[in-house]
Amino acid sequence: MASGPDTKPTLTPAQIQRHFLLRRLHSLTGLVPIGVFLVVHLVTNSSLAWGRFALRGKGEGLTVAEGGVKYFQHEVTFINESVPHLLLIEITLWVSIAFHSILGVVYATSGKSNLQRYPHQDNWRYTLQRISGYVGILFIFYHVATLRWGWTFLIPEGTKWSHSFSASTLAAAMQGSTEGFTIFGVAVSVLYMVGVTALVFHFANGLWTAAITWGITISAKAQKRWGIACAGLGAGLMLAGWSSLIATMTLDYDEAHLIERQMFIEKYGEAEYEAYVEQKGIETADPQPEQSTGSGGGE
Amino acid sequence: MIASQETASKGQHIRIRIKRSDGPGKPSYWQAFDVPREPGANIISCLQWIAAHPVTVDGEKTTPVVWDSGCLEEVCGACTMLINGGVRQSCSALISDIAPNDGDEITLEPMSKFPVIRDLWVDRQRLFDSLKRVQAWVPIDGSYSLGAGPKESPDKQGTRYTLSTCMSCGCCLEACPQYNLEEDESQWPTSFIGAAAISQARLFNEHETGKQLKRERLDALMGPGGVSDCGNAQNCVKVCPKEIPLTESISAMGRATTIHAITSWFRR
Ligand code: HEM
Ligand code: SF4
Ligand code: SF4
Ligand code: FES
Repeated sequence: MASGPDTKPTLTPAQIQRHFLLRRLHSLTGLVPIGVFLVVHLVTNSSLAWGRFALRGKGEGLTVAEGGVKYFQHEVTFINESVPHLLLIEITLWVSIAFHSILGVVYATSGKSNLQRYPHQDNWRYTLQRISGYVGILFIFYHVATLRWGWTFLIPEGTKWSHSFSASTLAAAMQGSTEGFTIFGVAVSVLYMVGVTALVFHFANGLWTAAITWGITISAKAQKRWGIACAGLGAGLMLAGWSSLIATMTLDYDEAHLIERQMFIEKYGEAEYEAYVEQKGIETADPQPEQSTGSGGGE
Repeated sequence: MIASQETASKGQHIRIRIKRSDGPGKPSYWQAFDVPREPGANIISCLQWIAAHPVTVDGEKTTPVVWDSGCLEEVCGACTMLINGGVRQSCSALISDIAPNDGDEITLEPMSKFPVIRDLWVDRQRLFDSLKRVQAWVPIDGSYSLGAGPKESPDKQGTRYTLSTCMSCGCCLEACPQYNLEEDESQWPTSFIGAAAISQARLFNEHETGKQLKRERLDALMGPGGVSDCGNAQNCVKVCPKEIPLTESISAMGRATTIHAITSWFRR
């Protein structure tokens, strides 16, 4: 008896394969589709900050904020009307997020953080990876519940979410009212800053650990190099996320609504607009007579 | 040099605080001892002095403090403990380095990830079981000579040499947030195996004869408690006294298990 392996696992090959498959699927779902979605989502949102410069001539006479609203609305419309299989994509995302989060909690609770004794950078990231996971899923839930399902927690008037009035809805949600900042708005804004920061960190660090998990970066040098790349990507995503948050926090509801109104009217006509805001209960703004902005955007 | 150090240390003491326990499952308690500073002293020599003079700083006579050791030259790993909170071998922990001044205090604790047998002595059986789990040996037992083995490339020998210096001390497990105390032996085969055994599986998979058990080792590393349960905190590699590139071994086995999973799926 060379081995005497009385402690050899008495697991069946199927049990072994299943454990491995779940672990690898957890890693994979973090990257695709969740991670990819996060990148697309944050880059789209950040157009609120730089959209003015992407309008290519259609943005003349607009301020940065107005141009951002216009381009952002243009992108939201594109996603909703032109991306194929949107429902399928959404279902895949939801299933993936549920899978990754449930297993994430199971995995996170299997370890015991020991930062006090070993305060290394890598160990910090190990702990932050778990904390940012918890924070991230709570934030995602709040985010979707209020902006999608119309929950009113911290948004007393609720958000009259409409894909056609996207930027103004966001401004109202982040500021707590359509009239500017309220105490609830401050809380929501802080929540968004924390949530976005946590998720970007979680994704960037996850990208780094995934390369070890899958055995792509084996040498310590390769791990370091990939770490720098992930930190760079993380910094870029932070920039995208934070710039869209700042743009939304400083956006004037009325100003944004008027631009969206104009885009809506150009597309469907004035009567349709009146009926729509009436039916949705969307707070309107009075158009100023001097507000004439070149030829319309959208398609 | 040595002579001057000797005269300088005359009459000096160090205070050693020890986390003690009278037996498995017994509560722990702290006792402190004043030990005369001797030239060239290390933790083990201080523990020997305490064993010969088991009187605490309060003048209370107590039982000798128990610890484990073997080689006294940092190659067996038996004397591993927490010294001032950090995990390392006590035989190579020199007093002149960790407590250079008169009256300096040192704390000693048993490792926290293994069951305590008594005082500073722990039972590292789970670590040895984990080596069995991945069959960390070259399978050449038999009743007749198998003849010469296959050729080994110097390149691989280089990689293997470093991995082969592991002394199963347990430092990497003590520091690992994914490796935690498990007193129930029946849980060991599915609890996290730890960096040492993952690295040993790599060592023997890289060996031309050891390779024969490659698939079995990878199967063991794919299951619950295997390499995928590592959380990449990378504490292990920082505390390994032999500077074994444990995180490289973890990633290498991550790659090997990925490939193994795919190929064995097609082999079925
Ligand atoms: C409740 C929410 C979440 C929790 C608790 C959570 C937890 C975790 C944990 C514990 C890990 C480390 C797995 C390990 O190393 O064994 C991890 C990895 C990862 N997570 Fe999450 N996560 C959550 C949500 C997310 C979200 C929303 C994303 C997308 C941005 C994401 C992306 C990733 C990635 C890319 C990895 C790396 C996988 C690897 O190391 O191979 N996670 N997650
Ligand atoms: S890998 Fe290093 S720390 Fe771990 S048991 Fe071996 S020698 Fe000790
Ligand atoms: S890298 Fe893995 S094995 Fe090493 S300390 Fe971290 S969790 Fe433990
Ligand atoms: S006694 Fe062997 S390592 Fe210390």
